[in-house]
Amino acid sequence: MAGLFEGRRLLTLALLGAFAWSLASVSWSDRLVHPGGLNAVGEIFGDLVHPELSFGILSDAIGAAWETVAYAVAGLTLALLIGLPLGAVASGVLARRSASRLALVSSTRFVLAFFRSIHELVWAWLFIAAAGLSPMAAVLALGIPYGGILGRIYADLLNDVPEAPLRALRNSGASEWRVFWHGRLPMALPDMLSYSFYRLECGIRSAAIMSFIGLGGLGREIQLSLDDLAYGRMWTFVFFLAALVVLVDVWSSVVRKRVEV
Amino acid sequence: MNQSRATQFGLPRLSVVGVTIAGLLALAVASWVFVLAAGSQQGADFFSLDTLRRGWHFVAQDLLGIDAAGTPAFARWSAWKDTAPLAYRTVAMSVLAIGIAGLVAVATFMFGARNVMMGELAPYGSKAGTLVFVVVRGFFTFTRAIPELIWAMIIIFMFAPGILPGALALGIHNAGVLGKLSSEIVEGLDRRPLQALRSAGAGRMQVLAYGVLPQALPRFLTYLFYRWEIIIRATIVVGFVAAGGLGFEFGLAMAHLKYTTVTLLLIWYLLLVVAVDVAAALFRRLAK
Repeated sequence: MAGLFEGRRLLTLALLGAFAWSLASVSWSDRLVHPGGLNAVGEIFGDLVHPELSFGILSDAIGAAWETVAYAVAGLTLALLIGLPLGAVASGVLARRSASRLALVSSTRFVLAFFRSIHELVWAWLFIAAAGLSPMAAVLALGIPYGGILGRIYADLLNDVPEAPLRALRNSGASEWRVFWHGRLPMALPDMLSYSFYRLECGIRSAAIMSFIGLGGLGREIQLSLDDLAYGRMWTFVFFLAALVVLVDVWSSVVRKRVEV
Repeated sequence: MNQSRATQFGLPRLSVVGVTIAGLLALAVASWVFVLAAGSQQGADFFSLDTLRRGWHFVAQDLLGIDAAGTPAFARWSAWKDTAPLAYRTVAMSVLAIGIAGLVAVATFMFGARNVMMGELAPYGSKAGTLVFVVVRGFFTFTRAIPELIWAMIIIFMFAPGILPGALALGIHNAGVLGKLSSEIVEGLDRRPLQALRSAGAGRMQVLAYGVLPQALPRFLTYLFYRWEIIIRATIVVGFVAAGGLGFEFGLAMAHLKYTTVTLLLIWYLLLVVAVDVAAALFRRLAK
């Protein structure tokens, strides 16, 4: 008990120290805030209450929102194709012998870690530099790191399944594959589904910023509006993005309630 | 439960899960059709040998610098030494960002929990409580829905380039994420210890301080460190616009086609991500 308490106190001190260090590494000076910068940000947030809602802008926004959703969903299907098999392998539940298991698990986990350690926007930029501007670049750029994230989470969820029901299956003569299909996977599926839904929400945000490297969608409209200093128009597109995120969030929480009972 | 409700109203048996699966499949097909159609419209065919050839050329010649003139940047000690301060500042940016996000979330998450503001933990439920709940949750949704890159594009109007605007952009977005997650922790807490406190005569504040907080805090810290792992990855894109750390250098290297420097910066990121993952795992163990 005393050790636990010490750990906590140590942690609190470490956290406060780290935050103080990060504050100290900002180069504080009078030039940190732009002259007139406060006014500019005031104007931006002042326009929050009157977004542009003309017919033309709204139809632009709907088109851009669909483009963003399409990239996100296509990217996520690719991520599922990467994450499901690699996650199953990385969980190590399929291999029995310990030597091959260790090699398989650690190499798959390394591949997954590599996929997700590079940000999706960086993947996109690299794909476009290599193969030219194409919507497929956005889909691949989303699918690869998200596949890495999904694979890792799926592996952990498959590992965390309670052992007792699996032992019952094994004792009644089921092979390791059968145990996986009829025991492990169905038990982990609700959590896997709810996490994948959460990633769809993240995917919509990521797809929106793909525009930064030249693809269409809500992000490009936001960027163009900011460049034109048309803040009201920018908020219209931001509200569409927020609405998409909320929609996915509400949908997923409804589904989660049904699945997790 | 779902089925009984459906039959009660004489509706066909449409389960939420069934509709969700069908909807997602339809959405996936429509999205792929759109993406492939948009791709072929742009002329360049992505699925071709030419793409593969160009991709190989990009990786081997540009990124890895095979048969290129001069030593590639990632093989030069001086290039590593020049970029080390940027890596240091990138870590500082991520810590500042998670600090801002954590402080904002800790200050507000109680007010975003339904049960604290208008549920069983608020015995004298008031209109003001409901209003605060709606405002706080709205704030979480708004800050969370806007990606960090777009926050950075707005914030850079105000601040000089550096790690502060980048950290603010990351901090605001993650404050929304953390706030929502922690409010949901409070909403899902085990009720029995709280009821025990109530029946022992604890007031509302005492229930919050001695019942809710000790239960919620360790899980809040777990989420905090988990978000730190996400933030260190995102510092690169915020750096593009906020001009702080390795991200800005990455943008410059891409723009100037200095691809072996790009490789060097990506290796830095790999190292940082692994280091942060290890540190975060250690902290998570301490927090438990």
